[in-house]
Amino acid sequence: MRRPAALSGIAFALIAAAPLPPYTPAYEPTGVDERGMWMQADEAERQMRDSPFVLRDPALNAYVRGILCRTVGQDRCQSTRLYIQRLPIFNATMYPNGMMTVWSGLLLRVRNEAELGAVLGHEFGHFEQRHSLEGFKRARGLGDLLTWTALLSPTLYSSMATSAIGGFYSFSRGQETEADLLGLAYLAQSPYPAASAAPVWERLMAEADATAAGRKRKVKAHRYSAGFFASHPTELTRATYLRDAAAKANDPGYPAAAAYRAALAPFIGDFLTDQIKLNDFGGTDYLLGQLAADGWTPDLLYARAELYRQRGNPRDLVSAAQFYQQAIDGGFAGAEAQRGLGLSLLRSQQLDAGKEALRRYLDATPAAPDAAMIGALVGQ
Amino acid sequence: MVRIMGAMIALLMTALPVQAGNSLIAPGAKILVAKSTLAVTPASEWNKLGARPGRNSESWTLDGDGLNEITFYGGIPDGRTLFREVDKRNRPLPKVSGTMLITDIPALLESSYRIALNTPLMSIESVEPARFAGAAGVRFTYSYTRPDSEVRRLGEARAAMIGGLLYMTTYEAPALYYFARDLTAFRQIADSAAL
Ligand SMILES: [Zn+2]
Repeated sequence: MRRPAALSGIAFALIAAAPLPPYTPAYEPTGVDERGMWMQADEAERQMRDSPFVLRDPALNAYVRGILCRTVGQDRCQSTRLYIQRLPIFNATMYPNGMMTVWSGLLLRVRNEAELGAVLGHEFGHFEQRHSLEGFKRARGLGDLLTWTALLSPTLYSSMATSAIGGFYSFSRGQETEADLLGLAYLAQSPYPAASAAPVWERLMAEADATAAGRKRKVKAHRYSAGFFASHPTELTRATYLRDAAAKANDPGYPAAAAYRAALAPFIGDFLTDQIKLNDFGGTDYLLGQLAADGWTPDLLYARAELYRQRGNPRDLVSAAQFYQQAIDGGFAGAEAQRGLGLSLLRSQQLDAGKEALRRYLDATPAAPDAAMIGALVGQ
Repeated sequence: MVRIMGAMIALLMTALPVQAGNSLIAPGAKILVAKSTLAVTPASEWNKLGARPGRNSESWTLDGDGLNEITFYGGIPDGRTLFREVDKRNRPLPKVSGTMLITDIPALLESSYRIALNTPLMSIESVEPARFAGAAGVRFTYSYTRPDSEVRRLGEARAAMIGGLLYMTTYEAPALYYFARDLTAFRQIADSAAL
């Protein structure tokens, strides 16, 4: 039997043998270091409970928790508390006391339950292996924030890590690989296909490239081979060994894409708005294209129109007006599409058509927060 | 309530050491601000902060910039950001455009804050036409929360595009107590703005 070169011994054991390692529920910390680490995590969780950044919608919370539980199994799932944070960055974190955070930027970027399960399973893998203890002993650091988001916005953490969100713990390269493959073993035993992890990494790489290209920066090809940080597996390496391991696991599974879209539908508009305001034209346009893989919905067309109007080059304004119109024709519910259309046309010097659209906006939402300003623009 | 206020002030004050380089702004005199031809005449005394948010701006405070802060933007030209880049390579700020509509000004401030402060909790609450520095402009209100302090702040701004340059003044303070207390003083200063 041939083993893929990238697959480590532990990975091979997990994937080939399939049964998960025995799990100890209700674990209590032992030793000075671990107890100290748990106290810090408990403090971070106390802050998290009151944080204005936490999304508290019960249905969304139950849904995301359900995905975690279906991925890692009910017994493991019981030892976690999950918090969804409104932060437009691809990330999830796991604290040693069982607190897990899932960021809205992650929810926006996965296409189905199985992909989200893949990321959450990875996080749970660190927890189950108690990786944070070793990281804590080595140095109090940044942790999985690095792992997931280094690619997308490398310097965000300096401020995030010192914020009320709390301390993070850094993981070694070996621990990352272990968490990846344990995550894959959860998937293989879950209703979800094990092949769901690799595509997440592949799209993250492509989005980072699109961001760089949009900012007229050189796309760093070496990132795929040499690694972003020496201590972490490169994205390409990860995508490769995850794909190989998934092929080995060979479980069909059901990714649950339609259910995911339906559950996220009430929140996608807000998540898209947060993304669009990050001034990342290239990455956002790529992301919208990915989300529109099965067709451009009115929500996605509106988001794209906003993105183009915001950049505001003359040709962008023409494109924006088209996208707004398509969103409206497709049944976009909000009057703000008329607003965007009108403002795009005004900036393109199409004054009459622009004012007409703005009047439609005012007719539909006379009490809009900017009604007085828009009214002044159309001469009302 | 009092206890909460005390705790909040303690939190804010510890985060705000008195900085060197601050200077007193005397009341009643016309003064040029933000290294520009923008002039205001404050009716009361303010402290000018030594640190400028950017090349064409300056900030004033009464009790510390976390408790009340006025910022003047003195004619930001096309292609420039509102304030100094925090991380130009990875988190570039949006730029002023000479062809911006008045309605684009609040959106520019919102996006700049979201990026510079790492927060999606920043929203424009109202936008209405208003004169500023002798020109047709905009008055808008907003609120935001930073992840590193989690104190909700309110803001009010007055702005106009004059000769392709962005002129603006903003006032910000914690929603609890401070914003309402000094809002009148800000409005007097904004009303006095002239080029
Ligand atoms: Zn990890």
